[in-house]
Amino acid sequence: MSNFCLPFGPQHPGLVEPIHVKLEVEGEKVIGYDIKFGYSHRGIEKSLEKRQWIKGIFLAERVCGICSHCHTLAITQGIETLANIQPTGRSEYIRVVMAELERLHSHLLTLGVCFHEIGFGTIFQYMFRDREIPMELLELISGNRVNYGMNIPGGVRRDIENHKVKIIMQKLDKLEGRFDYYLKLLEKDIIVKKRTQNVGVLSKKDAIKLGATGPVRRASGISTDFRKTGPGAYGDLSFYAVTENGCDVHSRLLVRTKECEASISLIREALRNMPEGDINKKVPPIMNIEKGRETISRVEAQRGELIYYLRSNGMMPYRIKIKTPTYANYVPLGEMLKGSLISDVPITVASLDPCVTCADRMTVVKNGKEKIYTKEELKRL
Amino acid sequence: MIWDIFSIIIFPGLFGAIIIGLLYEGLGRKITARMQHRRGPPIHQPFFDWIKTMTKENITPKAGNSFLMTLCPIVSLAAAVSAILFVPILGLPAIVFEGNIFVFLYFLLISVVFVAVAGFATGSPFGIIGSSREIIQIISYELPFIISLITLGFLTGFQITPFTAVYFPFTIFGFMLGIMGKLGLPPFHIPEAEQEIVAGPMTEFTGPRLGIFQLSHAALLWVLVSSATVMLFGGGTIIEFFIKSVIILLVLMFIKNIFSRAKINQAFKFYWLVVMPLVLIDLVRVLTGFMVG
Repeated sequence: MSNFCLPFGPQHPGLVEPIHVKLEVEGEKVIGYDIKFGYSHRGIEKSLEKRQWIKGIFLAERVCGICSHCHTLAITQGIETLANIQPTGRSEYIRVVMAELERLHSHLLTLGVCFHEIGFGTIFQYMFRDREIPMELLELISGNRVNYGMNIPGGVRRDIENHKVKIIMQKLDKLEGRFDYYLKLLEKDIIVKKRTQNVGVLSKKDAIKLGATGPVRRASGISTDFRKTGPGAYGDLSFYAVTENGCDVHSRLLVRTKECEASISLIREALRNMPEGDINKKVPPIMNIEKGRETISRVEAQRGELIYYLRSNGMMPYRIKIKTPTYANYVPLGEMLKGSLISDVPITVASLDPCVTCADRMTVVKNGKEKIYTKEELKRL
Repeated sequence: MIWDIFSIIIFPGLFGAIIIGLLYEGLGRKITARMQHRRGPPIHQPFFDWIKTMTKENITPKAGNSFLMTLCPIVSLAAAVSAILFVPILGLPAIVFEGNIFVFLYFLLISVVFVAVAGFATGSPFGIIGSSREIIQIISYELPFIISLITLGFLTGFQITPFTAVYFPFTIFGFMLGIMGKLGLPPFHIPEAEQEIVAGPMTEFTGPRLGIFQLSHAALLWVLVSSATVMLFGGGTIIEFFIKSVIILLVLMFIKNIFSRAKINQAFKFYWLVVMPLVLIDLVRVLTGFMVG
């Protein structure tokens, strides 16, 4: 059969967000690929520069609907470092609980989508049903299901009271049983194993060379997790990084499932050990930070390491650069797609847990052709 | 003469096949929804879907062949409806002659092959890949299906008559897997894999053409389920027949919901290396008269 080009996106039932993966196929085999994005660029980085620090947190929350807490956490930590504010002890524990609950619902979403991509509708529905539990808990704590609005410099805005702790513990018990079932399914189901094992392989060497991050990196046997170094309250909790040595889609799914179990135990521990005290400090709403101060803030989001670079210009930021984990994982994606079949493409893409819109970058098109700017031209802009 | 026309047009022919087929599809969707902890659409939802599809316009892509795209759904539907005329349902007179089992097989095959032809006729890359998968899938499941039918043929004199095949479990196994392959039920919904190739052969079809394909799929469901009821489980009176056929549908839907999609090469290996030896065991048993009945 002759070669032809199969467009995978920007509009495709296998994709939720617009990304264009151009596949050159020979029969069922993928022999070439090209990834293009820029379909939903929103210019958030630029508009962050035109807002005061506190308003920036509000906007950063809107970068991503799934990892909204992590984005605010990253920017808040950055601002705290710049303004020399130490968050209160209790607030750091609440931040951990929020981040881990968010990880639970995000991982359940991804796992569900992965099962959907291999045509397993039933498990997709089950996962979305179970995803309601962490969503409800997040609503219980913050009053919102998607954008929680919890972080402010110096602490958090809402407390977790004792009666809420009891409800959270009860619901987590229920959720834990579900993860045992999913783990058994991943380890026992023949067709799921056949569809995912040795698919989208990213060797340990390539994962380091191409800079994969998050569960993708950990599934290649590298124990990199920013939570291990103990930012916030993680240092006081018994945290361990989950790794798998399969290097394929199956081990990525396993890593996510096991991470969920780890998250549940983390939440329990954090709730038990939560110190008494204030949840935030009095911080003036209009902050003036010394000009030219800069910092890098890192957070282990659900998809991998989220990096914020902040540079101050007094009342407002001079520059905020966001590097989302999905952006780092696009490069390894090419390596994974090499020599795979068409039927492996959706599950391979989904196993990255791509958040396309978060990672979207601008493409400049002039006279119908893409223009690549040089360093000098960018400086002049 | 009047009876012939009645059986072709009203029951079990065109209208009966379409209406009961669509109802079965609705029932299948309801069962699926219940298994997935959803409420699910009402059982008559496929009728609404069909009416809506029929009101839309036909669009032919630039690379497509308009004539073939119109012909394929009609032939597919006609073949599926013709196949039912050979199956004696509820004791109604069917077209009976020695060897009608092969004609039945041919009609079923034509119905599915024209789906594949339709995909090629659209000229879309998704359609072409879907169709090539459909063809590979036909090659995989057709031989075990034919062998299990021939096994039944040796027992019934190559005529489609009510027969209870409980002593031939592998024949039932081969027949049911043939049904799943033909209908594209999970784990064999490979040609229509929506996450990979949108809708496979159906990608570029719209309006009445797609509507007729929906009918053809519904008629095929009715034909296959009712022929399985008659040929494997002995048919029976009207109540027995419908109870049996709904149980078959339940089993199919149950299997549908507990599996994910296989890859086309895995499906091929499964049919030829696992199903084929098993159906051959039953054929050899029948030919040698070993432990029959």
